[in-house]
Amino acid sequence: MNFELSQDHKVLQDAVRDFVEKEVKPVAAKTDEEHMIPDELVRKMGEMGFMGSYLPEEYGGAGLDMLSYAIVVEEVSKACGSSGVLISAHTSLCCGPIHTFGTEEQKIKWLPPLNSGEVIGCFLLTEPDAGSDAGALATTYRREGDEFVINGSKIFITNGGYKGTGVLFATSDRSLKHKGVSAFIIDLDTPGVEILKNEKKLGIRGSYTTAFALDNVRIPAENLLGQEGQGFRIAMDTLNGGRIGIASQALGIAEGAFERALAYSKERKQFGAPISDLQAIQFKLADMWARIETSKLMTYKAAWLKDNKKSYTMESAMCKMLASEAATFVTKEAIQIHGGYGFICDYEVERMFRDAKITEIYEGTNEVQRVVISKLLLS
Amino acid sequence: MKILVCIKQVPDMESRFRPNASGTWFEESDLAFRMNEYDEYAVEQAVQLKEQLAGEPEVTVLSIGPDRVNEALKKALAMGCDRGVHIQDPAPQDKDPWQIASIIAQFAQGEGFDLVFTGMQSQDRGSAQVGVLVAELLGYACATTLVGFSFSDGLVTARRELEGGIKGVVKLGLPAVVTCQLGLNTPRYPTLPNIMKAKKKDVLTIPVADLLHEEAVAATARFYPPEKKGGGIVLEGDVGNLVEQLYGILKEKTTVLR
Repeated sequence: MNFELSQDHKVLQDAVRDFVEKEVKPVAAKTDEEHMIPDELVRKMGEMGFMGSYLPEEYGGAGLDMLSYAIVVEEVSKACGSSGVLISAHTSLCCGPIHTFGTEEQKIKWLPPLNSGEVIGCFLLTEPDAGSDAGALATTYRREGDEFVINGSKIFITNGGYKGTGVLFATSDRSLKHKGVSAFIIDLDTPGVEILKNEKKLGIRGSYTTAFALDNVRIPAENLLGQEGQGFRIAMDTLNGGRIGIASQALGIAEGAFERALAYSKERKQFGAPISDLQAIQFKLADMWARIETSKLMTYKAAWLKDNKKSYTMESAMCKMLASEAATFVTKEAIQIHGGYGFICDYEVERMFRDAKITEIYEGTNEVQRVVISKLLLS
Repeated sequence: MKILVCIKQVPDMESRFRPNASGTWFEESDLAFRMNEYDEYAVEQAVQLKEQLAGEPEVTVLSIGPDRVNEALKKALAMGCDRGVHIQDPAPQDKDPWQIASIIAQFAQGEGFDLVFTGMQSQDRGSAQVGVLVAELLGYACATTLVGFSFSDGLVTARRELEGGIKGVVKLGLPAVVTCQLGLNTPRYPTLPNIMKAKKKDVLTIPVADLLHEEAVAATARFYPPEKKGGGIVLEGDVGNLVEQLYGILKEKTTVLR
């Protein structure tokens, strides 16, 4: 048993850290304030290979593994949670299912521009009345000759604002519930796709969260992903992998806030000594670190299981749950350690606190993760 | 053209250093290591020259040390070097710059390198001797502390940094050794696809005993942190009282009032 990163993973971690320090950190506050990740940064992350880390080289990916992907999302999220989820949703939720369920032609057509970051990917599952209950989709499709015609609406679509490539879910017949659901690859520039709005949010403000109306959207029949009726399985399988990305994002946010809180506790003097001399602060730091390390072990384990083609459903649910709860806890304590300064925007932990909350919610709320875990325990 | 880049792996300079048990170097356990900053400029310049010459030169990157130095070699390979040479040495810190240079020269002797790039010094030992010693041992021309580099018509034009911000320009014929200084270039990031490609590049491992035939000419006698200076004194009280206290201290502990 070995808990150390391989030399290759260390080289990767070092390279990503260097990039994040110089390119992501300086624009993180601006990303939050302007509700947009600078295009320049998206382009640079694409050039670095962040948008296709674990996809094979033959489709324009970097050909690395899931652990490398987790490290990339974690390191980027230490500085900017919005940029972290851009990579996570794009890779896990769009490149991932196209690679796993796509035909050779589909992979050759759609993956290279996604993996280079030239086109940004998203996952169109959630609707006003269907989130984790994916069988309740109201967006419909019908076949017309060589095309599918899609009607309905989608909400809370991470990365939707880029209008790039999407993996979209729709039903042929609502009464069939999850058996009626199919998945499609869609170019979001297709006529009939309309952005209703990009949501204003508590956190991850640089990340687009988009509502779409789909009005008689015609897509070629060849864009069906997998078989008709296989959509529910594709969605569940995709979310399984996606949870490792969200866990990595949450882990990064927690680590970013911890680094700042630790440094601040050593600088800030009260009663003639640094506040890190106070046991009240020391215990906070210990609790924060223990939660971070626990989450990291579970996140890396889930990635390792996936890399080794072992079952990882339980671990991906656990790492997402642990890391997101670590993130909300650690960012809250980081503000407390900063005192009044933590509450003002200049000290960054305020942003991290806002960014952390969503990780307990998206890609399956933590309540759903507990359902997944307990079902597996009791099955 | 054959190019050699000599790199060293050094601790993260923000680490907290403690003397080791023998008191002649720092304790290495728990330290994070990375490529010596000046050597990154050397790697970047070598790769830029390879690009300038349409990929013709073969760039070999060499490092001496324990297994962990493979991380620095892999980074250099991901930045664009073609092959790695790891000179396996569990304790390079016990060798003086003369021995380190002689190991490199011994390896380089039969290889016919046209140009050798290295950092002007390491961030940890900082002797700045290895580059020039390698040049001397190989009988190569040498220029140090480069802040500018160009190559044309078989000639290296090196811009050197001198004291007080003055620059000097030197032209060297090949073969040559150049040592690189901050400001020479901006090292590229190793991209993920290039990190993947680097995994497939060859790294040759050579035990240091095969190349080391020289005795040390200098030895580190002691490694120690600077002595702690006493903290300042904060005077408290009203102004009149403060003046009296300060006057007393100046009179007692300094010669200002004598």
